[in-house]
Amino acid sequence: MFLALKEMRRAKVRFTLLMAAVGLLVFLILFQQSLQNGLITAFVGAVRNQSAPVLVYSVDGRRVIQGSVIGPELEAQVRDAVAGGRVGRIGQGTFTVTADDALSEATVLGYEEEGLGSPTTLVTGRLPQGPGEAVASAADEAAGFGVGDVVRIEPGGLEVRVVGLADDIQLNVAPTLFVAYETYLDAVRSRNPDAGTPPPNVLAVEPAPGISAGDTAALINAASDDLDALTRADAAAKTPGVAQVQQSFRVIFLLYGLVVPLVTGLFFLIVTFQKAPSLTLLRAIGAPAGRLVAALLVQVLLVVGGGLAIGIGLYAPLSVQRIGGITLRFETAAVIGWSIALLVLGTASSVVSARRVVAIDPAAALGGTGMDR
Amino acid sequence: MTVTDPHAPALRLEGVRKVYPMADGEVVALERADLTVDRGEIVALVGPSGSGKTTLCSIAGGILRASGGTIVVGGDDISGYSPKQLTAFRRRAVGFVFQTVNLVPFLTARENLLVVDEIGARTGAPARARADQLLEELGLADRAKNLPSQLSGGQRQRVAIGRALMNDPTLVLFDEPTSALDSKLGRQVMELIRSEMTARGIAAIVVTHDERITAFADRTVHISDGVLDA
Amino acid sequence: MKIALRELRRRPGRFATATVILTLIALLLLFLGGLLDGLIRNSTGAVRAQQGGVVVSSAASQSSFLRSRIDPDLRARVAAAPGVEEVGGLGIVQLGARVPGNGPRDLADVALFGVEIAPRGVPNVPDTGEVWADRILEADGVRVGTELLLGPARSPVVVVGFVEDTNYLGQAGLWGSPATWRSVVAANRPAEIVADGVFQSLVVRGSGSPVDLAAAVDAATGGATLSLTIADTANAIPGVAEQRGTFNQIIGVTVAIAIVVIALFFALLTVERVALYGVLKAIGARSRTIFAGLVVQAIVVTVIASTVATVVVLLLDAAIPPGSIPVTITVPRIVSSVLSLLVAAVAGSAFSLRRVLRVDPASAIGSSS
Repeated sequence: MFLALKEMRRAKVRFTLLMAAVGLLVFLILFQQSLQNGLITAFVGAVRNQSAPVLVYSVDGRRVIQGSVIGPELEAQVRDAVAGGRVGRIGQGTFTVTADDALSEATVLGYEEEGLGSPTTLVTGRLPQGPGEAVASAADEAAGFGVGDVVRIEPGGLEVRVVGLADDIQLNVAPTLFVAYETYLDAVRSRNPDAGTPPPNVLAVEPAPGISAGDTAALINAASDDLDALTRADAAAKTPGVAQVQQSFRVIFLLYGLVVPLVTGLFFLIVTFQKAPSLTLLRAIGAPAGRLVAALLVQVLLVVGGGLAIGIGLYAPLSVQRIGGITLRFETAAVIGWSIALLVLGTASSVVSARRVVAIDPAAALGGTGMDR
Repeated sequence: MTVTDPHAPALRLEGVRKVYPMADGEVVALERADLTVDRGEIVALVGPSGSGKTTLCSIAGGILRASGGTIVVGGDDISGYSPKQLTAFRRRAVGFVFQTVNLVPFLTARENLLVVDEIGARTGAPARARADQLLEELGLADRAKNLPSQLSGGQRQRVAIGRALMNDPTLVLFDEPTSALDSKLGRQVMELIRSEMTARGIAAIVVTHDERITAFADRTVHISDGVLDA
Repeated sequence: MKIALRELRRRPGRFATATVILTLIALLLLFLGGLLDGLIRNSTGAVRAQQGGVVVSSAASQSSFLRSRIDPDLRARVAAAPGVEEVGGLGIVQLGARVPGNGPRDLADVALFGVEIAPRGVPNVPDTGEVWADRILEADGVRVGTELLLGPARSPVVVVGFVEDTNYLGQAGLWGSPATWRSVVAANRPAEIVADGVFQSLVVRGSGSPVDLAAAVDAATGGATLSLTIADTANAIPGVAEQRGTFNQIIGVTVAIAIVVIALFFALLTVERVALYGVLKAIGARSRTIFAGLVVQAIVVTVIASTVATVVVLLLDAAIPPGSIPVTITVPRIVSSVLSLLVAAVAGSAFSLRRVLRVDPASAIGSSS
């Protein structure tokens, strides 16, 4: 311990540079972890955090709620397939709205019944109970979507009052309003009076007692090639773009994760190489190899730990920001997971250096000058 | 810049001083040294550790600037040279053979000689011809392609001497050239230095604390506590 | 210089790990850049392919094609704006397409455009019922002559040719006449039917700069339209600006990491070579020469790392099945990534300059350490 700290104090620049490198890498990894989760939540939070265990799209909808249309025939097939369960309609549209006196874009999601498409992450207020009421995405509270705010749907001018806020219920990175199905129909008609009564976009299904969500989805899919039933988790994960985002970030994490142990490993290898004469001397005067290896490990842990502290320190203030429409969050699990992974990888990377330390021959202190290696 | 006078002595020091400022006053490393070394002359500079022999040698070779006095090498008065001028001067007029780190470990014997050309004039072919000739004369022709690690201690010192001669210097400074060698090899290296310097008419200062070396010198100068006794 | 290069050749082991690390960083830069380019290319191709200076949408649409409506009156006012030479209507509908021979649930994502001015790569507006398709659809088995069935109504359109880089929000572009678009919308999206003569947006050609043209159009319509240049329209597509900003920040920090890694590595290398530099300086080497050697080594290591990373990323690009990770590797991206790494190499090695300058030639003499 004494040796390890003394050396670090003498070679501040080197150890600071190394810690800075590890810190920046940790920061980027954590930041991107938040970004990935924030991005996916902003895209499909409304799917993930609604109450229906199964969602049924039309195959033509390509797993996008707004693109899916369930005509009367398909709806009847679904109701037949889930005999004993509950089925509700969900309609969704993207509207230009006036909120907080400014034009913006908002997603309106209409559902028929609680438990069949209602938001599950309510943080304040209540669910809509009548026409013209809405639960809004909490992330957009400040943009004119707070409880008590009135949002006007353009160009028709239909007014919707926010009565509750729920976490992580955005769809397509836009402010999202969960409303009663009738309110959704009113919104569509207010924009286009000729629209008539549009069919639902997707159906929300609660399986019959004793049947799992997966089995229910399979039953519905077996009923028609034009139906695409998915469990809640699948519906979120298989939304176009979500898997791409996850795969892309996986590659990025893998690469950053490799760079950290390589940088620390290389650093300590070179440093061990450079101080071989001093290590030889210490061995010659009786320092056990174990003590020297321990000093090395202390340094590795201090550097990786310091890097983690720097990285988390940079990440913490940024992790509560919003980027565009994406809400970032401090990902405690990611912080703990990456800290453990990087400490383990960093320690593992110093094995080569440790072997070098163990291999030092104390007798060399009495031999040649070591010049010209 | 300066015209080297072919008849001037290889080295002339007059009243050269070197003082290092310290927190509590100053430390005198060299006190009013006067020394003249003629062309082709070999001078052994003998003294205990800390006596100032390294300081004197560094000043004569243009590595260190004196605090006062006159230093003339081959007719070149370098006393007032800037660090930049001194760098160019060392490339042009002086050869060095150091005690320990001496050769570039990842370069072959021949390339170690060519380093002098590489950091300086970059003449190319003439430099290569000179390197080959020097290696031949030093009996290292068959070792030209060996790395320092593949050479014996004596061979390494010979390569170092070859490098010191590459720029056809007026003066070569040897810093404890035999300290890392056993006495038999040390003698051989000193014989080599003597014959090479004499044959080329190049002056040499050999810094040592080994009195036996003095037998190979034309003259021995002792130094202690920064004072020369000629 | 030669000395530095010889060291690289004779002691490759000393540089190997640093080269591997830099290769990974170069790979990250190329991958991140390729991902950004791929995402943006996939989202904006249809807009960038428009052969006009300005895209005009209705003011309340928030520049979304889908919600914009331009009726004949508004169109006439746009056409009458000073500097406007030609106006072409544009409509879009996003649907699933059934490809003959593929499974009943195996649909291709398409964005059918009805246009009056053919986009880049399409010789002229095709006849009703015919479309030019983005080449990306070849991966779904689409060929010239293939009849695609669009949407739940299975509206048939025949592919008569392929175009490149015309995707919209990740969906393959299909380019047909306004009549084709209207009939497909009517059959599949009854709620979105638009009357004859009504379009979602207009592509405008005219004299002068696109920025001035856009301003002239909006002035002529009294603010009823929102006109943007092609580049601004592409940027206004949801997510594009955010993606670009976020990725560029990540790329910036990654370059900063490259600088720190290079600085660290060469600082260590310099410490190791202080004695050697002392000797070289004593025999007359200038600090400049020694430092130049360091920079050359940093550059060579970076060039090797960049080359390996480029090869790997190109192989990766070829190996990634279409549609999984939207990576597009372009020459400008490779060049800019390599250039930023080279700058990082020089900047990183500059950290060692002070130490090189501080090496005292006198250290070569008189000390036995």
